[in-house]
Amino acid sequence: MAHPYQCIQVCKPDPQNQEKWMILGACGPNVVSCISNGITAIWPMQNDRFKEDDPKEPPGKKLKLANPTEERPNVSQMLVSSDSQYLVTVTAEDKCVHVFHITADGHLQELTQRSMPKRPCAITLTADNSTILCADKFGDVYALPLLPSPEEAEVLPKPATEAAEATPQKTFIPAATPLTVHSGRNRKALEAQLKQATQQMKTKEPLKFKHELLLGHVSMLTDIAYATVDPQEAGRQPRNYILTADRDEHIRISRGAPQSHIIEGFCQGHQEFVSKLCLIKPGLLVSGGGDSHLFVWDWLNCQLLKRIDVKNRVLDFFKDHPQYIATLEGQEEINIAISGLWAIPGGESKESVLVACEGVPALFHFMITIGQADPDVCHVLPLVGNPLDFAMLDLALDGIIAVVSVDNVHEPGSTSSRRQGDRPSRLQLFKINSSERWESYSGMTETLQWFSCEAPGGRAAGGEATAPGQVTVEDMSAGAGEKVMRDLLYGVENLRKRAGADE
Amino acid sequence: MAGEANKKQKREEYRKSLSKEQQKLALPKKKFYRQRAHANPFSDHSLTYPASPASMDWASYYPAFVAKNEESEYVATQPREDTLAVRKLSKAVEIADIGCGFGGLLFALAPRLPETLLVGMEIRTSVTEFVQEKIRAMRSQNVSRGEYQNVACLRANTMKFLPNFFTKSQLSKIFLCFPDPHFKTRKHKARIVSTTLNSEYAYVLKPGGIVYTITDVEDLHNWMVEHFVAHPSFERVGEEEQEKDVCVQVMRTETEEGKKVERNGGHKFVACFRRLEDPTWP
Ligand SMILES: C[S@@+](CC[C@H](N)C(=O)[O-])C[C@H]1O[C@@H](n2cnc3c(N)ncnc32)[C@H](O)[C@@H]1O
Repeated sequence: MAHPYQCIQVCKPDPQNQEKWMILGACGPNVVSCISNGITAIWPMQNDRFKEDDPKEPPGKKLKLANPTEERPNVSQMLVSSDSQYLVTVTAEDKCVHVFHITADGHLQELTQRSMPKRPCAITLTADNSTILCADKFGDVYALPLLPSPEEAEVLPKPATEAAEATPQKTFIPAATPLTVHSGRNRKALEAQLKQATQQMKTKEPLKFKHELLLGHVSMLTDIAYATVDPQEAGRQPRNYILTADRDEHIRISRGAPQSHIIEGFCQGHQEFVSKLCLIKPGLLVSGGGDSHLFVWDWLNCQLLKRIDVKNRVLDFFKDHPQYIATLEGQEEINIAISGLWAIPGGESKESVLVACEGVPALFHFMITIGQADPDVCHVLPLVGNPLDFAMLDLALDGIIAVVSVDNVHEPGSTSSRRQGDRPSRLQLFKINSSERWESYSGMTETLQWFSCEAPGGRAAGGEATAPGQVTVEDMSAGAGEKVMRDLLYGVENLRKRAGADE
Repeated sequence: MAGEANKKQKREEYRKSLSKEQQKLALPKKKFYRQRAHANPFSDHSLTYPASPASMDWASYYPAFVAKNEESEYVATQPREDTLAVRKLSKAVEIADIGCGFGGLLFALAPRLPETLLVGMEIRTSVTEFVQEKIRAMRSQNVSRGEYQNVACLRANTMKFLPNFFTKSQLSKIFLCFPDPHFKTRKHKARIVSTTLNSEYAYVLKPGGIVYTITDVEDLHNWMVEHFVAHPSFERVGEEEQEKDVCVQVMRTETEEGKKVERNGGHKFVACFRRLEDPTWP
């Protein structure tokens, strides 16, 4: 039995053929893909061959290719550009941002690896797909060009020796002195300062690639969103915003680059960490985290519109499914931790959001009514395991298809007990029926057979190994590997502050 | 910390040794409130802070400035479910002394700016308690003149929670007096001035508002100047204007650290920065 998919993305790789879909899953250290025509691939293993006979690849690149028996860092984030041309992933242990080109026939070609100074916690892309925004554990947001310039591509990836030889920059000589700034207060000076500051922070090796520090919190960042809003005024350019959430209950609204140093406001009200931001439509934000409620915001005006009770829906779900009740026993104070929020295109007046809570084997679909007294309707979608990620495909024939990655290794309702008995498939598929309810969907089951049930997770950092004929998840002792997997799948509740961890 | 508990106990014993009247008027003794110099601004601490400025109970800190008619108004309106109902002040806090330590600057400025509300923010618990005790005593000693009603001190980690206390453009002055230098490069993110943190100071300051900085560590002075002038929301205040500002004089002479540096014959580096208007959207 294979490692579950900690991340799932879907895309339409061929602009000429909208019926062709591709599902990408991060499975431990591997990226697994499956195309509608049944072709499957695993990165990096299968791609090794692919790259070997591609003469255009710079020769240095092969050095970087992972040896399948070697321990490799786990994929913690995955994002496909809105034009389906590129896949961006983050690997956790080495803090690397990877960019792949997705070819029309569904192959992944790795273009760059950039190692960040601090562990990236969330990534997003600007609306034009030109820039990656990377939010890290130390609270900083960096902008990286999606594709490095040709000169940089020469240097990247650099052999290990070169990196070791890079001389640390010892003294901080500011690019902008008080004098220069008075004469020419401009963005250039700031940029230079920011670069210097970054290099200062990370004493050993200045980053070798183009990157710009856009903003920073003094708190671990948990999510980031990029929004473009049309001010609806003649002659006004669309405005770009960066929304950032942190472990200290903040949601910050900043302007987009080059004015990202300007904070427009904060959406305040959360009492616990914020873990997820979800833009439902241009002016409407839903946020969730360690609180019992979701918060719905008119974020351009930093106004709270309403709060939606999730915790009681979760408790209702557990009451209706007493088989999971054991996990609730003895816990006086039950906390929920929002691990996923996804906007679902809804009917006319209704906005809707799909919600996942860590360790709860269901998805909660809320229809949000704004400015009306009627309660928010919630449809519960029970799952065979805890939800890990979700993606949505729009098919001409069948409409909207939900692809849910479920935990096939732990008991549903638990983030730590191993499953007894049969293991389910790693994917569950649903479609929205005519009455806007989810029903299970089997239209893609055959094509996805290998992807959902067999694709191996490879040998991940922490000792996980699931290639056929090798050690399987079952054999893995409840040791380091188990902990690595649990951290990879269930990191959200850990964001909660513990009383007394202090002074 | 055993030492902490010990000091608290000694504080109590000292209080009990005084008569009721003396208790009200006696100034706290610093020796009972000293605390380890550094608190980690990244760690969680069991801090209390409002979810938003709207839910901050300023009225308890400035009872003499509670808005009239507030009582009736407040019963009539339903509290929003996300904010606790709080009594409003007749005016907003305008001056913040960040990392105020034992509060020397606050006690010197308060009588000079009687109509302005000042707040000291300090991360160390017992240092904060000292300033709060001293405010209580100073108010009692000056009841007839009504002095020191405009000053308060609260415990906060300003590097994380400034926007929880102040709304956009609320403040007209921020003081950063003798901040901890955090010499090691590795610790530079712990400094109270950085390019990214300066955006938060810009957020709570109104255009035209001033950040005052003073330090005896030349490297830190250079660092603060570099980071503020590099930030597009600030410009440095010229020497002449700076020297005319009474707040600059007070900051040089009245802070505890300022006095210490004076005694040791050290040098004091001052720099002030003006908050500029935000540029128009591109
Ligand atoms: C060297 S003292 C200066 C005290 C006072 N301003 C003076 O000049 O006498 C620096 C003060 O800043 C406080 N401090 C450091 N980081 C802080 C933070 N993040 N929030 C609030 N206070 C902080 C320290 O506890 C310390 O009392």
